[in-house]
Amino acid sequence: MSTAAPSTSANVSGPRRRRIGPGWARSIARHALLAAISIAFALPLIWMAATSLKPEVQAAAGGMSLLPDPPSKTVEYAAANYKAVLADPTVNFPLYMRNTILVATLSMAGMVFSSAVVAYGLSRLKWRGRGPVLALVLGTMMIPFPVIMLPQYLIFKELGWIGSLKPLWIPAWTGGAFSVFLLRQFFLTIPRELDEAAAVDGCSAWGTFWRVILPVSKPALAVVALLHFVYTWNDFLGPLIFVNHRDQFTLALGLQLYQSQAGNIEWSLLMAASTMVVAPVVIVFLAAQRFFVEGVSSQGLKE
Amino acid sequence: MSRSSAPPVVAPTGVSARRRSQGSLQVGREVGVLRGLLWASPWLVGFIAFMAVPVGMSLYYSFTDYNLVQRPVFIGLENYERMITDDLFWKAVGNTVLYAAMSIPLCTVAALVIASLLNKPIMGVSIYRAAVFLPTLVPAVASAMVWLWLYNGDLGLINRILRPMLEPLGVTPPNWIGLRGSGDKFWAMPALVFMSVWSVGQSVVIYLAAMRDVPAALYEAAALDGMGPVAKFRHVTLPAISPVILFSVITSIINSSQIFGAPYIMTQGGPDRATYVYSMYLYDAAFVYDALGMGYASAMAWVQLVVIVLLTVLTLVMSRSLVYYRAA
Amino acid sequence: MPTARTVMQWTRRGVLGALAAGGAGLVLAGPRRAHDAPSDRVVIDYWEKWTQDEGRAMQNVVDRFNASQSRIFVRYFSISDIDRKASIAIAGGSPPDIVGLWNFNVPGYATSGAIQPLGDLFDSGTLRMDDYAPAVRRLMMHRGTPYALVNTCGTVGLYYNRKLFKEAGLDPRRPPRTIAELDEYAAKLAIIEPSGRIERAGFVHTEPGWWTWFWGQYFGGDLYDQPTDRSTASSAINTLAYEWVATYPQRYGVKNLVALQAGLGNYGSGQNAFLSGRVAMVLQGPWLANVIARYAPSLDYAVAAPPVDESIYRADEPISLLDSDVLMLPSGCPHPRESMEFLAFTQRPDVVEYLSTVHCKNSPLLRASDEFLANHPNRSVSVHGELAASPRAFIFPRTPAWPMFRDEMEAGFHRIWRLEDSPASVLKKVDVRMQQALDVSRRRLERRRAATGGVS
Repeated sequence: MSTAAPSTSANVSGPRRRRIGPGWARSIARHALLAAISIAFALPLIWMAATSLKPEVQAAAGGMSLLPDPPSKTVEYAAANYKAVLADPTVNFPLYMRNTILVATLSMAGMVFSSAVVAYGLSRLKWRGRGPVLALVLGTMMIPFPVIMLPQYLIFKELGWIGSLKPLWIPAWTGGAFSVFLLRQFFLTIPRELDEAAAVDGCSAWGTFWRVILPVSKPALAVVALLHFVYTWNDFLGPLIFVNHRDQFTLALGLQLYQSQAGNIEWSLLMAASTMVVAPVVIVFLAAQRFFVEGVSSQGLKE
Repeated sequence: MSRSSAPPVVAPTGVSARRRSQGSLQVGREVGVLRGLLWASPWLVGFIAFMAVPVGMSLYYSFTDYNLVQRPVFIGLENYERMITDDLFWKAVGNTVLYAAMSIPLCTVAALVIASLLNKPIMGVSIYRAAVFLPTLVPAVASAMVWLWLYNGDLGLINRILRPMLEPLGVTPPNWIGLRGSGDKFWAMPALVFMSVWSVGQSVVIYLAAMRDVPAALYEAAALDGMGPVAKFRHVTLPAISPVILFSVITSIINSSQIFGAPYIMTQGGPDRATYVYSMYLYDAAFVYDALGMGYASAMAWVQLVVIVLLTVLTLVMSRSLVYYRAA
Repeated sequence: MPTARTVMQWTRRGVLGALAAGGAGLVLAGPRRAHDAPSDRVVIDYWEKWTQDEGRAMQNVVDRFNASQSRIFVRYFSISDIDRKASIAIAGGSPPDIVGLWNFNVPGYATSGAIQPLGDLFDSGTLRMDDYAPAVRRLMMHRGTPYALVNTCGTVGLYYNRKLFKEAGLDPRRPPRTIAELDEYAAKLAIIEPSGRIERAGFVHTEPGWWTWFWGQYFGGDLYDQPTDRSTASSAINTLAYEWVATYPQRYGVKNLVALQAGLGNYGSGQNAFLSGRVAMVLQGPWLANVIARYAPSLDYAVAAPPVDESIYRADEPISLLDSDVLMLPSGCPHPRESMEFLAFTQRPDVVEYLSTVHCKNSPLLRASDEFLANHPNRSVSVHGELAASPRAFIFPRTPAWPMFRDEMEAGFHRIWRLEDSPASVLKKVDVRMQQALDVSRRRLERRRAATGGVS
């Protein structure tokens, strides 16, 4: 059986074999519906990219085509738009890109590592107080950001982090409630025989975690990593509050700076800037998609 | 091994964990409290430094007049009393409730429908899945801008599509979100709600994972009872994944009570405060209106926290009869 | 099949690898900071809201200052959401040296102690109050103390399309002076289709719609009475003014006005309502000339004082809003002395006039040089100068609660414009809400005074 969805394929193929006609028709209908939904979901992004390829006059003119007129000049027009965005002296997108990559990577690494450690302690070790700590972890998910944002700012200031990128990534090294929770749920499904075997071999708790649990949890770790990477990449309010200096701007903030320049910005340029911010994440996702979605939905343990 | 080879990563509280719990959940290496706390220490340090202390600080500020620059002055309950008579506060509360009341059911239904469509081994499923998930990768700032462009009354794609359909009927498509309050007062909030459906991808993936985990035997039994696909969805899938739906609804309540980016960038709360939501008033109270009213903003943030906790508890209590936990 | 799969896998790994490598390269070798400063000078950080052309002009001023001496180096940063960012930075104890904000920020910042008084600049004789237009003087002060400097300002005048005037049989040398005349001209200039669709409007209050709160001023009203700290939004005069506003939707139809608005393009584009001739008369600032020069250079237009109610019309004392940008010194500014030096530089007449020319605004100084008037991109800049010099020029109400006032008036205006509620009822509601906010604001201030022993 292939890796994809073993259990569900079993329960669908049964009835389908019995009633070929309706099943076939239903499959077509399902495809049509899914295609329509997919187009509806992808259209805004496609339209964004398409607008970024056109000169402003055409973007505002009302044509529904995806490419500029004449299509042969697409590259030329697109280059003009993107060059205009990159050359804008008020926004330094390469610098913001660098900051964002740095923050997202450091933050992701810390989030995955620390959340895994904590999740291990909350799932595969038994100790008094484990329940209350888990409840606390879940409880913090209810705290709205506005409650803590200003005090956090004052704390970061006491720590001397304001004026650097630290407020954007160091807190991730303490783990996050959602990631801890996801990993704990995954760790719970790992058969305990693995631990016992490791214990027999004389592995410490840390050794079991590092050499047994982590290697079999790669799909789950990948999901946590991707989700957190995307979260950090897109985070707007955090940098908005904690970053004062333009040298520390991230892409989301830079994009808003670019957009907030009164009503004088042209749609084609705005869409070009948006495309630049969105594209890297989309490419990462598309390249890692299989890994990611399989990791979420099935895969599991391979021995 | 192969029978249980589908542990969902994202399957909070419920079916899967409980199902497997007979085997492995309850047992683990016994360790002392200190060892246990040591393992949890990264999170505990962060919790104290970046959560507990700030929450306490903001509780204190909520009883003060604080402008960030000068020392806070203790004023007792005045900030909380002020909220009662502040009709802008109630307007913001009302708008936020309206948004949540429209967005949460719509997004939940949409996510469930899409997930159940995707929960079949059909060709190209990964493409469909990717298309639905992609929007969740788009930063709020970028998606606000894209939608501003799509909703543009004159040039926007949405009205370009609607116009040929509506104009023969003598209907003009609305100016969804106009600049500086020129948009349609009635349609601005629905416009934000429609937009929220666009980012249901994460819920879809979560529901999909939960649906994958429903034992095939249940469906086989349902098929023997002569159930069609809709009945199966209603009587098998929904009850089986109800704990996950509950989790997702609670998360949505928390998130939609904090909606900020889209109205902040797209409508600035207008037209005529029709999209002026709670977080925007909190932000204005803190930074824009009247010489840095951090005390009042902290009180508003605390009210938000208390309401979220109450709503979560309420949802959990009310769902007792609706959510189906399989006996261990 | 397996080969195809392997190829896919390798492609995927290749893409991810390339992205990772590119990212790492950017992190390691990419740009570190946007600005570099020489190490042997005192570095002054200056935050400003301006970007693009306006930002470049200010950067030029900064460059000139940096070249004019060798002790101080000013770094210019344009910041989005600058009023909030500035207050956080000041609160966090890491403020910039100088911050450029809007004039309505002055009362709020001064009240919360976020900015420092600039009395020294005037006491030392470096700057003279008398050099500035009277309305500018008023907005630099907070409760008798100078707290802000004005680097650019603009008054709002009536821009009218001369060509359309001629077509409608109106004398382009005799623009409307009173509200009654404005209505009369507007009716003559408008082109309304039988369906009610507005092909062209003579005048609409929503174009550009930036100052929904100021219509009472042209009838002699005011929204706020500073001495008594009362909201006067629902005064008889204001009510009269907004009843006049409501006559437009009553006459032309709400639906038609909304449709007109939806079809109008961006301010900074060729589809601008005034440039495209869809609206024949608008109340606008001098900066409109920059947009006209760029998108409709052949437009035949002129500028006049805003029409006012007949009872208060006086040819020698026009009534106009003076809007301005301000420079302020944050509390905790690391280099106050050097910052003052740069602030003084920005107020030199030649610098003020350079900036005003590029920004296409009138000068905040009472006397403008002939060169300035001759070379200004707005050929009617002298009209704007006269509006600024008038003792009846008005500024934003001076209360920290003003931003809320503005938002309330904006929301109320649109209710009136859509005929959802009567002006009297709308203004009454604004009054109640605003008086509440003003009372809170005053209570805060008094409590703060009491807590600090009278020194605030």
